[in-house]
Amino acid sequence: MPDKQDVKQGTLSLMILTTLEVLGSLHGYGIARRIEETSKNRLALNYGTLYPALLKLEQEGFIAAEWKQSENNRRAKYYALTPAGRKQLARERREWHQTADLIAAFLAPKREA
Amino acid sequence: MRQLREALARLRGAFSRTDRDAELREELEAHVEMEIAEYIRRGMDPQEARRRALLASGGLTIATESVRAQRGLPWLESIAADTRYAVRALRRAPAFTAVVVLTLALGIGANTAIFSVVRGVLLKPLPHRDGDRLLYLRHTIEQPGGPRNVSFSVPEVTDFRNGAPSLGGIAEYSPWFDILQGRDVATRLDVGLVTGNFFDVMGLSPVLGRVTRPSDDGAGVPPVMVLSHEFWKSHYGGDSAIVGRQVTVDGRSVTVIGVLQPAPFFPDRADAFLNMVTSPHHLSALMVANRSHRMTEMIARLAPGATIEQARTEVAAVEARMLREHPDAYDPAAHDRIAAVPFKEALGERARLTLWLLMAAAAFVMIISVANVVNLTLMRGVRREHELVVRSALGAGAGRLRRLLLVENLLLTLLGAALGVLIAAGGVRLLTGLAQRYSPRASEISLDGTVLAFTVALAVVVALLLSFVAFLPSDGAFAAMISSGLHRIGGGVRRQRLQRGLVIAQVAVSVMLLAGAGLLTRTLLRLSQVDTGLRTEEVLTIPVPILDPARVTAAADAASKQQYERMRREIRALPGVRAVGLGSTMPLRASLLDFDLNVEGRANEVGQPVPHADFRTASPEYFRAAGIPLVQGREFTDTDWSGSQRVVIVNRALADRYLPGEDPIGKRIAWTGRVLRFTPVRNDWRTIVGIVGNTQDGGLDARRLAVVFAPFTQEMAMLGGIVIRADSNAAGLAGAASKIIRRIAPGVPVENVLTVSQIRDQSVAPRRLNAVLLSMFGILAVLIAAVGIAGVLAFSVSARTTEIGIRMSLGADRGQVQRMILREGGVLLAAGLVTGTIGAFFSAGLMRGLLFGVDPHDAATLVAVVLAMGAIGVGACWIPARRASRIDPAITIRQ
Repeated sequence: MPDKQDVKQGTLSLMILTTLEVLGSLHGYGIARRIEETSKNRLALNYGTLYPALLKLEQEGFIAAEWKQSENNRRAKYYALTPAGRKQLARERREWHQTADLIAAFLAPKREA
Repeated sequence: MRQLREALARLRGAFSRTDRDAELREELEAHVEMEIAEYIRRGMDPQEARRRALLASGGLTIATESVRAQRGLPWLESIAADTRYAVRALRRAPAFTAVVVLTLALGIGANTAIFSVVRGVLLKPLPHRDGDRLLYLRHTIEQPGGPRNVSFSVPEVTDFRNGAPSLGGIAEYSPWFDILQGRDVATRLDVGLVTGNFFDVMGLSPVLGRVTRPSDDGAGVPPVMVLSHEFWKSHYGGDSAIVGRQVTVDGRSVTVIGVLQPAPFFPDRADAFLNMVTSPHHLSALMVANRSHRMTEMIARLAPGATIEQARTEVAAVEARMLREHPDAYDPAAHDRIAAVPFKEALGERARLTLWLLMAAAAFVMIISVANVVNLTLMRGVRREHELVVRSALGAGAGRLRRLLLVENLLLTLLGAALGVLIAAGGVRLLTGLAQRYSPRASEISLDGTVLAFTVALAVVVALLLSFVAFLPSDGAFAAMISSGLHRIGGGVRRQRLQRGLVIAQVAVSVMLLAGAGLLTRTLLRLSQVDTGLRTEEVLTIPVPILDPARVTAAADAASKQQYERMRREIRALPGVRAVGLGSTMPLRASLLDFDLNVEGRANEVGQPVPHADFRTASPEYFRAAGIPLVQGREFTDTDWSGSQRVVIVNRALADRYLPGEDPIGKRIAWTGRVLRFTPVRNDWRTIVGIVGNTQDGGLDARRLAVVFAPFTQEMAMLGGIVIRADSNAAGLAGAASKIIRRIAPGVPVENVLTVSQIRDQSVAPRRLNAVLLSMFGILAVLIAAVGIAGVLAFSVSARTTEIGIRMSLGADRGQVQRMILREGGVLLAAGLVTGTIGAFFSAGLMRGLLFGVDPHDAATLVAVVLAMGAIGVGACWIPARRASRIDPAITIRQ
């Protein structure tokens, strides 16, 4: 098994928001699985990282939590995007693309001799 | 926005813990369950699945902790934990806590109370708009016995208006009194006659109606009155319908135009302010044109951009020109001096010395209490060393331990401060009474936010101090402790030196406080020994001002004298009355009239101050009623009437001062001076027919004045009052006598009905309060210091138990041990006594102004103080010394 990476600071909230945008309402386990799968198991997401991040997003008002029955009939806490969260996601996504372009430009092989 | 939402959510989180923890646990468990289900679905056996799931979680406890950290405010929670711990620790040491809190409460309470007074009276910004720009102009002349404030005449005010442009506005204020005639009662009003610009210059506004303005100046304008806030409240019950009402003042109808904002009275107490037109005298040519007719006080506002130095230069120039151009109005012997004093300073003048003395005393008490608390904390620190070392070995860093101590100390000092504020609240009421005698700003004293901030700051500073004198275990202390078999370790010498220094300081400061208290107490004793010159047993005095001094006519004078005579006869007939006298001024009261004097056969030398005396009138029975002894000659008789030869009785001080070595009887004196012609008093020669004993008028500490008594019937009945001597209980006559007076003169206010001993007490009261306060501080200081000495020695004994046990088993007897401990304490005590005596000797000079009849370096006081402190100190050493001598060597060594 290849070494798993820890999540980079600041990227986790973007991952969580994207996950919730794609899958709608989802519990913590579901979010973790989805992020791990999307990263092709290159990311390890332990509870100590995930749950504080979820709580912070909730405190910031970007996601809302609600207790519901899960598919296998267990009570679980489901998170969903709020309208503010949608706006925040759009903003973060834009910023991320800008940052990525910028970094890519710096990292690109230099053409000048 | 986003941060705000998060912060609010965190704040909510900080104050709700339990249910959210349960919820979190359920959420995390659900996660684990789902994970396990997933592993099982993939074919893992349940046990392995659970193991893998928990492994992947990264630890549920860690997760819980990090969620908690995100949820609430971690620092708040750790402070809460520290506080809980501190409360528990303090509860385990109730005696320590009680002593520390109480000691601090006394120190903080004293400081809070005195500071609130200092702030109210001296420091608070004036209620006047830009009060710092106000100047009081003081005109003093030299007189036998000291300088005297003589105020200004209208021509002089005009000189300053024209000659000092940096005085942007000059307000005139003439102290006066009027009678306010109500439907049933008459009230004496202390008033200020003011120019229209007075309030504008002073920067004061009305709370109701309007204040005077320049159009209220001059003759022919309607008479108007502005009420002081205090008088409006006390006399009119704060009636807001008062504006526009017509009231009768001295028989004239005056319109109340407004109520002034609360403001300190200066230069005098005033119930109301009236425009000049209300006093015909103030519009007379005499007042307006005569340079020597000084009845006006000046308060000026600095012009924009002008500095006080400029103003002073200009005032000096104007003064020089006045003296040059009007030599007739300024006696060179009087050495006229005009000074511009910042208004705020003038207001605080009389209170300043007393208040700073009390503030210093309170600060001293604070020093002693803090020293004691530091000592207690140091001792406690030694007992806790073990605990602190263990905590640091378990991973608490120095910073964390320091914070723990700080929280604990803050808890202690804030508790002390809270209790101190309660003490101060009681003290402030007492002190306001004191301040009222010294300062017109006493009503501004309160325990307000600034004062409370001062108190809290004091508590925090003390807490910081306590936390940083404590010795924390250094790195490796744990190892050292283990290797030394868990015995006591830690900063012995440094701590001991600090403790001893603190004890010395406590003793020294106590000595200084006691010395101050001793001097004030001696002052009080001296004052109580002052002979008033009266046989004071049962004498009642009732001022009865029938005549308006501004409008005395011969007819009014004759009528008033008839009224006085009727009152005298009727009061004389009351049961128990032995003598009734009539006079211009009541005994022991300062006279309101005093003039220069010509003594027959004695030339007034140029450059020497002119003889000067109080002027009083007295009826034949006055001296007997007041208890003033006749020394020589005769008293007045009924044959000294208005048509007979002009005679006077002088006091012994006048005879000694101006007729030394001669027989004064038969000598003649005459009033003289420029002021005389503004009064009904004539300057003809009067023959001395008697000499009476000196009386201590105007306060027990007032300088003794030369006094001339004229027969009541030979002078205008100005002011006036009745002196009643009774067989017993003179105060009990007040009701009956007042009734007679009200019946005969219904429009006259009957106020200040006091026995002679009450007048006497009034004049001592402020000093008594001073002495009581400082003595309280002194006693407090000594008690705390005694506890300090005993505590430090006791601690030293307990730390040396083994040593003492060894000494005793090697042959030292109980006496030797006792002496050893006594010597240890004695050295500290002696050092403190010496330091304190030196300090007291050098600081006592500052108190000179508060003393009477006692030298600030009074040896007897210092010796007594040192002996008292020494005795108490030895007593305090005795207790631990005895304990040391009772140590059983057999037991201590085995330990």
